[in-house]
Amino acid sequence: MSVETTQTTPAPQGRRGRRPSFGRLTWSGLTLVIGLELRQRVRSTKWKVALSLIAALIAVITGLIIFAVPNDEWQPGDLVFGLVVYFVLFLGLVVSPTLTATSINGDVKEGTLAPLQATTLSAWDIVLGKLLAAWFASLAILAVAIPFIIFAMLDSEAHPAALITVILVLAAELLVVCALGLAWSALTSRTASSAVLTYVTVAVLVVVMPILFPLLMLTMPVEQTMTYVNRDYAYSESTVDEDKYPYVDESGYHYRCTEETYTQTAYRTDRLWWLLAVNPYVIVADSAPSPEIPEDSDEYYYTDGILDAIKQGVRELRLPPATTSDYCQPGLSEEEMYRREQREGLSPTWPWGLGFHAILAAGSVLIAVRRVAVPYGTLPRGTRVA
Amino acid sequence: MTILEEAPPITAAIQATGVARAFGSVQAVQDATLTVERGKVTALIGPNGCGKTTLMLMLAGLLRPDAGEIRVAGADPRTDSAAVRAAIGWMPDQLGSWDNLSCLQTLTLVGQSYRIPAAQARAKGLSLLRKVHLEEFADRPTRVLSRGQKQRLSLARALVHDPAVLLLDEPANGLDPRSRVELRQYVREIAAEGRAVLVSSHVLAELDEMVDDAVFMSKGRTLGDDAARMVAHARTRYRVWSLDVDALRRALTDASVPFEEAEGGAMVSIADEAHAQQALAWLVGAGVPVHRFGPAGSALEQTYMAMEEDRR
Repeated sequence: MSVETTQTTPAPQGRRGRRPSFGRLTWSGLTLVIGLELRQRVRSTKWKVALSLIAALIAVITGLIIFAVPNDEWQPGDLVFGLVVYFVLFLGLVVSPTLTATSINGDVKEGTLAPLQATTLSAWDIVLGKLLAAWFASLAILAVAIPFIIFAMLDSEAHPAALITVILVLAAELLVVCALGLAWSALTSRTASSAVLTYVTVAVLVVVMPILFPLLMLTMPVEQTMTYVNRDYAYSESTVDEDKYPYVDESGYHYRCTEETYTQTAYRTDRLWWLLAVNPYVIVADSAPSPEIPEDSDEYYYTDGILDAIKQGVRELRLPPATTSDYCQPGLSEEEMYRREQREGLSPTWPWGLGFHAILAAGSVLIAVRRVAVPYGTLPRGTRVA
Repeated sequence: MTILEEAPPITAAIQATGVARAFGSVQAVQDATLTVERGKVTALIGPNGCGKTTLMLMLAGLLRPDAGEIRVAGADPRTDSAAVRAAIGWMPDQLGSWDNLSCLQTLTLVGQSYRIPAAQARAKGLSLLRKVHLEEFADRPTRVLSRGQKQRLSLARALVHDPAVLLLDEPANGLDPRSRVELRQYVREIAAEGRAVLVSSHVLAELDEMVDDAVFMSKGRTLGDDAARMVAHARTRYRVWSLDVDALRRALTDASVPFEEAEGGAMVSIADEAHAQQALAWLVGAGVPVHRFGPAGSALEQTYMAMEEDRR
């Protein structure tokens, strides 16, 4: 409490100290608002036409992706599946904000929020009803996309369970974006502002964070000793001293391994990986299960296509920078084996990202509930009750 | 207040004392005190921007007052907003309707929002639509309604849950003359059912015939007893028209009746209808050629104008 003395009217109960009661969430109230929103908002957007257009768009993109990805011995892995999934995610991130970004301030402007607030519906009923109705509408987009995702799945070599995780994570991400839109529509009075701010928020997660990642990385270099192991070939194969050059390469030439040590600048990506973890694209990729690396595999990465590459790439960035680089021996060096084990042993990245998104969504819902709860204490700038 | 002191029995449906509310630096309502009795229609009168709507929002449990006490149907909107909202039917001045819903769907939905079972809300909605003459629009989307029709739907919406208190914010706006007359009759019916009605309007002649009490508001303050006295005074004013103006004025002067000159006659103060009858009989008996005799226009309007003059 501040010691302001500006209050001229000595109120027994000032408005600022007390919060409006948010009321209780009720099943009947929630379903009522969902029904109202679906009938009012969704039906008005020529929904069937929109869904057919979206289906057509996904069909065209899927066809083009299948055509573009070569189907030969070069293994495209989950490339087709990954690209189609990413396109659906892109569509979801573009369309979902429009479903909620004007939900509260638009209703205030239309004069249809106050009549609801004046009833015995609670703020929870109104806000969660709006959120779920918008989510159901965006799930319709996902439902339209599912046949194409399955089709893409059949055309690639993704882990079969990836189909389920990808759809679940896509659904969760749509819910998060709907919640963000709701919060902005609660915080701003102009519908144009809330729409822009919702898109900016999504863009921050999708684009700005990945840009920040390398920029911030460059501001925190560390000097570390780096050991390079390189091949050193004998000058003449005829006079080779086999004790000195013990190894023979694929063409029959003798070589040895030489170690050199430098002090080098490395970057602590393990301190910044969270910038990438909150990216919806990373969350989708990381949650999709990938084939296990066989114990005797001599590949450092077992990447297949796009989802897996992003997953392994981000997990690699979570490790401290490597201190040796072995170009000499075929197969994995001890450190590489160790790092691969470390990487495999990491906890998945997606719970961090999705957890952060869950906090964002929960915070957004709280903001919206505070905005809708009556009686109003302070009103947001530039708004009126009715 | 001590515990021993007995709280006065709450008879009024709305009791507001010293209510104030600011928006930032703008003091929308400074000091409003009013009482709305059950079974009566009370008018809330004042110029644009005097805080009528803000006061109504506070009474409806949508806006928290900065200071003052409000009791609506015995509940404090500050602490028990839900109970207040359940007891109140609020017709906002802003006309908003869910334009994809039909009129009947709208009323059913609002009824359900007050936790009334769907079938019951629907039946109530139908009877209300009949009452406000919108039954032919029951299944048509509200977007086809005209302004006046939306206004009537809004009135029906405020009544779906049988509220004990009705707050009407500018209900006559955009209504055609016939609808205004019907609104007036309907509001009287609603009050006759024992509900308390608070109605704000600019159409003062309209209110004159509708209301029992009037609360005047100016610059965020209710004017209280002064205005009530002015209304009472205005109600006693009669206007007399005579073919021979001089004869009328002479007769009044001779009988030492105080009067004001008015075009074509005079203004006199008469306590009630019985006295008016006697006064008219006396004038006619005295040979004054009276051709019109009656109350001097809207009492509320006279008060409003007098109040406005004071402000200038």
